[in-house]
Amino acid sequence: MKLTAHLPWRQRSEGAVPGVSSGGPLTQGRRALRRWFHSRLPRTDTLALTHRNVYILPTRPGWMLGLTLLLLLVASINYQLNLGYLLTFLLAGSAVVGMHICHGNLRGLSLHLTPPAPVHAGDAARLDIRLANTSRQARYGIALAVTDIGDDTAHLTWTDVPAQSGAEVHTAWQVTRRGWHDLPALSASTLFPLGTFRVWTVWRPASRLLAYPKAELHPPPLPAGEPQPGHAGASVVRSSGEFDGVRAYRRGDPLRSVVWKKAAQSFAAGRDDLVSRDASSSQRSLLWLDYATCGAPDPESRLSRLTAWVLQADRLDLVFGLRLPGREIPPDSGPSHRARCLEALALC
Amino acid sequence: MLNLAAWRSGSLPRDTRDTLFLLAVVGWVLLMQVGHIPVWCAAMAVAVLGWRAHITLQGRPLPAWPWRLTLLAITLAATWMTHRTLLGRDAGVTLIVVLLALKTLEMRARRDAFVVFFLAFFTLLTHFFYSQSLLTAAGILLALLGLLTALVNAHMPVGHPPLRQSAWIAGRMALLGAPVMLVLFMLFPRMAPLWGTPSDAMTGRTGLSGEMQVGQVARLAADDGIAMRVRFDGEIPPMRDLYFRGPVLSDFDGVRWRPLRSGFPASMEIQAELQPLGQPVDYEITMEPSFQPWLVMLEAAVEPPELPRGRAFMTPDLQWMSTRPVTDLMRFRGRSHLAFRHGPRQSTVALQDFTELPGGFNPRTLALAQSLRQQYGAGPAVAPRLVEAALERLRTGGYTYTLDPGVYGRDTADEFWFDRKEGFCEHIASSFVILMRAMDIPARVVTGYQGGELNAMDNYWVVRQRDAHAWAEVWLAGEGWVRVDPTGAVMPTRLGSLTRLAAPEGLLADTFRNLNPTLARQLRDAWEAINNRWNQWVLNYTQGRQLDLLRHLGFDSPSWRDLLLALALVVGTAGLAGALWMLWERQQHDPWLRLLDRARRQLEQQGLPAVTRPTPRELARQTQQHWGDTARARAIRDWLLRLEAQRYSAAPGASLATLRREFRQIPWTQTTKT
Repeated sequence: MKLTAHLPWRQRSEGAVPGVSSGGPLTQGRRALRRWFHSRLPRTDTLALTHRNVYILPTRPGWMLGLTLLLLLVASINYQLNLGYLLTFLLAGSAVVGMHICHGNLRGLSLHLTPPAPVHAGDAARLDIRLANTSRQARYGIALAVTDIGDDTAHLTWTDVPAQSGAEVHTAWQVTRRGWHDLPALSASTLFPLGTFRVWTVWRPASRLLAYPKAELHPPPLPAGEPQPGHAGASVVRSSGEFDGVRAYRRGDPLRSVVWKKAAQSFAAGRDDLVSRDASSSQRSLLWLDYATCGAPDPESRLSRLTAWVLQADRLDLVFGLRLPGREIPPDSGPSHRARCLEALALC
Repeated sequence: MLNLAAWRSGSLPRDTRDTLFLLAVVGWVLLMQVGHIPVWCAAMAVAVLGWRAHITLQGRPLPAWPWRLTLLAITLAATWMTHRTLLGRDAGVTLIVVLLALKTLEMRARRDAFVVFFLAFFTLLTHFFYSQSLLTAAGILLALLGLLTALVNAHMPVGHPPLRQSAWIAGRMALLGAPVMLVLFMLFPRMAPLWGTPSDAMTGRTGLSGEMQVGQVARLAADDGIAMRVRFDGEIPPMRDLYFRGPVLSDFDGVRWRPLRSGFPASMEIQAELQPLGQPVDYEITMEPSFQPWLVMLEAAVEPPELPRGRAFMTPDLQWMSTRPVTDLMRFRGRSHLAFRHGPRQSTVALQDFTELPGGFNPRTLALAQSLRQQYGAGPAVAPRLVEAALERLRTGGYTYTLDPGVYGRDTADEFWFDRKEGFCEHIASSFVILMRAMDIPARVVTGYQGGELNAMDNYWVVRQRDAHAWAEVWLAGEGWVRVDPTGAVMPTRLGSLTRLAAPEGLLADTFRNLNPTLARQLRDAWEAINNRWNQWVLNYTQGRQLDLLRHLGFDSPSWRDLLLALALVVGTAGLAGALWMLWERQQHDPWLRLLDRARRQLEQQGLPAVTRPTPRELARQTQQHWGDTARARAIRDWLLRLEAQRYSAAPGASLATLRREFRQIPWTQTTKT
């Protein structure tokens, strides 16, 4: 049997905005209101939290505490208990101080988003947020979340921020479509210290996220190369792992191009020189990845296949070019070439 | 026991530790209720908490709902069996204690945990029904801090923060909340109960009662509880003169003494006709709540005391009453004349009420009366001699004073005068008055307190429940009512001496007292002096004192509306101070940064896309890029670069004030684009 969590009020359900459930016209209206509200926020990658952009509202337990205080007060009046008044007012005073602590827990914090690296559609983008605390008080229990308009029970990432220090928080955001995306609004919220108030802020980062097309899962093998001027006749690109030429190892050669069999032989002979495959000399034909001839049925799956091929060709360290409708990227290799190709595919 | 070691070394899993801590706090809250709740209730609470702790330590699942439902049903049934109701104060306290314990079995969601907290706060309050002492307050404060600590801890979701840290934060919250508490406590208007307090609030309190049945005051005599505290303005009068008058009992049905229910019309009833003699004694009385309407004042008070609540009036039998029961600690000033005369000086018809005796009771006492009258004669003139004869009989007839006279039969006076010859003030006074009435001398029983003792620590005269006393008043022609204390005749030391009969106490207290009587007394005095301060300043903080406070603050004739006004003033001032502080805090930001920020916002309003790194130079570049090489863009760029120079250049150029002025002159809103 599953063990029950013993203090389950630390479950993530508390991230939900009180009183909101999915569906219903009220919720619809609320979402519209929130969308409008979010759209008014300026976009920035660094947000300093002041009393102008930090909001506070009582939570449901907060209302319960208010009711409790009222009942305690009525009991004190009715039974004429002076000590009852003291208890009620001390609790009320602590709650008021708790409210200030709760607000101060966010106020004065600054949030900074590192612009996210591109991802493939369907993957989750990692958002790195740095929280900087210049005050002499530590801040506890701050939850960061991606506030998708439609999803109220967003996943919360909790963190503490020590005094005069910082903390790194990573949260994830799933993108479904390729292309440039505005990052969704992020929220930072806290219930500390009593859970009777929820203090939050909404933040629209300025950075944008580039989503490459989703790579096809099992793409067909890379297409045959086109004959290269000067290498007439030879037109086979091997994928068997054989190679034509070797050369001495040069600094910067990828490890996978080292011919380990030969290296072992030379080690055995008492030498320590490595040899690498010489891809450029091995490639007598030129690999073109072409949108028009890649063989997939519809545009998106074509892009998807091309993306898979780009990745594959890059992995094999091949020199390849990309032909897209209205755009051609000349053959090259390396990470920046790959990035250029993928970006072209994303924005095609 | 392995787990206990783990607790000490701090290696328990977080959830386990938190739950155990909350259980400990709830346990403390419930522990304080022991003594006010039925034994089964306490046992059940302990069992449930223990079970819950076991579940936590073993990592087992919480019991399913049939368990909890069964327990709840048992609780309701047992509460019904004990109190015969599920409503009312005592049943309510029992229920809330068990519910609190049971709720710990159900801490599944966050909501449940909060329910535990709020139930615990209610349980804390119910404690005040029974005690509002300083010790109680300390215990409650501890519990409150514990609950806050648990709450704070629950909202530190990251890692394994030590409980010490949460406790420190909770303590700081309570400390910072204390001023709020003080202001509210001082200024929140004390009002009358919003609706009738349930009657069971009045039961179970010791004190004088409105009637007397032999054996009742004996219980009081063993009670060390404090009935009232008196502070005399001048010298403390001799102890044998300190008679504090309570209910006067004139109606006897053979078993029970009750206040007079006269058959005469009101116009004929005898009046107080109080005539003070000699110098008055001024004093201040702090009465513990008696839940009775009478005011126990030093004999004899002429003027009505000013009460914090209600109004005082005097009955014809010289007893002071309040229009409202004394439901909480009450303080008032009094002025009494130790020498006085009262009652009609001449015989009136209404005095017949005070010679009535029920038929068929105490035949031997009646016979004794008959023989005394034969011996001394009859008529008003011999009445003083008859009284003296009766007192002489008490002095010399082998009568003794005891707190434990045993159970008396039907004819209590007969048994006292002839068979047992022992009793305490109640038996003695009752028997004496019956004898007087049998001799046609108007007489009545007065109950109240006699004597007391001085607390040397704070010079308060302390009157305890065990000082409860009953004495007699006889009516003599030409004199009016005259106090006669027959107990003094039986045991002269009962009056005017510090040694008194005390009921046996616990073994430990006894041993301690025997070992060092002086120290024990000093300790007790010190403790009671502290308690008295507490009573005077906290428990007795009434609307009267609130209004006094306002008078000190300069209100002319304050009312509760002024209290609300003062409260609103304080809250308003605090709010204003907060707002000012916030403004001040904003000013603390760098003025240069604020100016830059204003420029950035202006540009963004004009349509510049958001700038990620808004340095002046970057802003200038973007402006140029966005609007091209227009005059306005150039003006903005130049200004931005001057702003940059002001901060970073070795030769700052324009001052910040100049830059601010220039900022206003820039044509931001011009929208022409080229």
